[in-house]
Amino acid sequence: MTGSFRLAGVPLFRATACVLIAASVALLAPAPSLAQSGEGSALPDWSGVWQMTSNTVFDQATVDPPGGSSNAPGTREYPPYNEEWEAKYAANRERVRRGEFPDPITTCGTPAGFPRMMNLPAGVEFVVRPEQVWILTEDGPNIMRIYTDGRSHPAPEDRWPTFSGESVGHWEGDTLVFETISLKGDGDAILDRTGLVLSTEARIVTRLSRVEDELMEAQFTIEDSEALTAPWHVVKQYRKLESGTRMIEFACAENNRNPVDAAGRTLTLDRGGNVLDDL
Amino acid sequence: MNAGTILPIMIGSILSGFTLASSAHHAATMFDRDQTVELSGEIVEFQWTSPHVWIQINVENESGEIVEWSVEGSVPNRLYRAGWRPTTFNPGDRVTIQGAPMRNGAPAALFIGARLADGSTLGRFEEPSN
Repeated sequence: MTGSFRLAGVPLFRATACVLIAASVALLAPAPSLAQSGEGSALPDWSGVWQMTSNTVFDQATVDPPGGSSNAPGTREYPPYNEEWEAKYAANRERVRRGEFPDPITTCGTPAGFPRMMNLPAGVEFVVRPEQVWILTEDGPNIMRIYTDGRSHPAPEDRWPTFSGESVGHWEGDTLVFETISLKGDGDAILDRTGLVLSTEARIVTRLSRVEDELMEAQFTIEDSEALTAPWHVVKQYRKLESGTRMIEFACAENNRNPVDAAGRTLTLDRGGNVLDDL
Repeated sequence: MNAGTILPIMIGSILSGFTLASSAHHAATMFDRDQTVELSGEIVEFQWTSPHVWIQINVENESGEIVEWSVEGSVPNRLYRAGWRPTTFNPGDRVTIQGAPMRNGAPAALFIGARLADGSTLGRFEEPSN
């Protein structure tokens, strides 16, 4: 194999070479288990479109009531919050109950960010390259870049909180292990609509692997020196959609008839743009 | 035109226990998920758009006036995979839509199900019990 080969890139070698390489791959290894990568390393093939198996409650293990919806006022989870952040979560849930806890993405101006982008209802792609892995979501859309080329996180003076943060990772067999820091926190991003938030001090280690042929699993270990008293473990799974499924555009600002007003209410507009909430 | 009886009918919580699909975009607390309104009328426009699709439907109220309702649905990516298409609703189609109405009584609802012009059903349409 050649190091110049790139996924979905322009072929850099002549057709005859392509034929020889393709023949070699066919003889030496079962093609589906190889990533579309160079360097001859057998990175896993996570191609296809995947979809979260659960509803949009972030922590399915602690949700109360069991099976509760993130859209139903009163639903909560039990992260190991300290007293201050438990109070903050309680205040957020009260705002949810009053209809005054707008989802930050309702403005169609910012992405959901990490880890919430792993908690969205539509399609997800995991694109494996030798030097980085991309996670792409339809909703948002969101783009996550996880560098696996051996680099370290940027120095503190070279980074700042962003929605998807800074991620570096490595492979442990077929499991991608990556750490994410420099994330936006409370006030900019949520984990779900129950009012769940973290601080900008959050540090998340994710173990991502294909636990079954049709099932991806993300195991998150979340530490947050400002908000949590202990590491918080959360597991989410994604089932592969039918072969050939395509990703479909989500252009949030195309026709947003649910803007947020100054009081934090999510409004509903009629076809002419008139607010229906104050009738 | 003689549109027949196309009153919006509150049919109560016939779908109790059913959880509406979560939105990828906004909380839906403006809609009362414990209530269902049934809208029979004529499609004005179908907006096959992000972040939500909208079905505009003219419905006759108790006073005999035609009122345009806005019915908010999910999003094209997931609806397409559930069998919806941009042509699922067409202007002029006579359909019946069930939805969770806005709490303040405004003519808008969150889509639950529909019976289309050809008699087929979509979503979680519940046939009337009588």
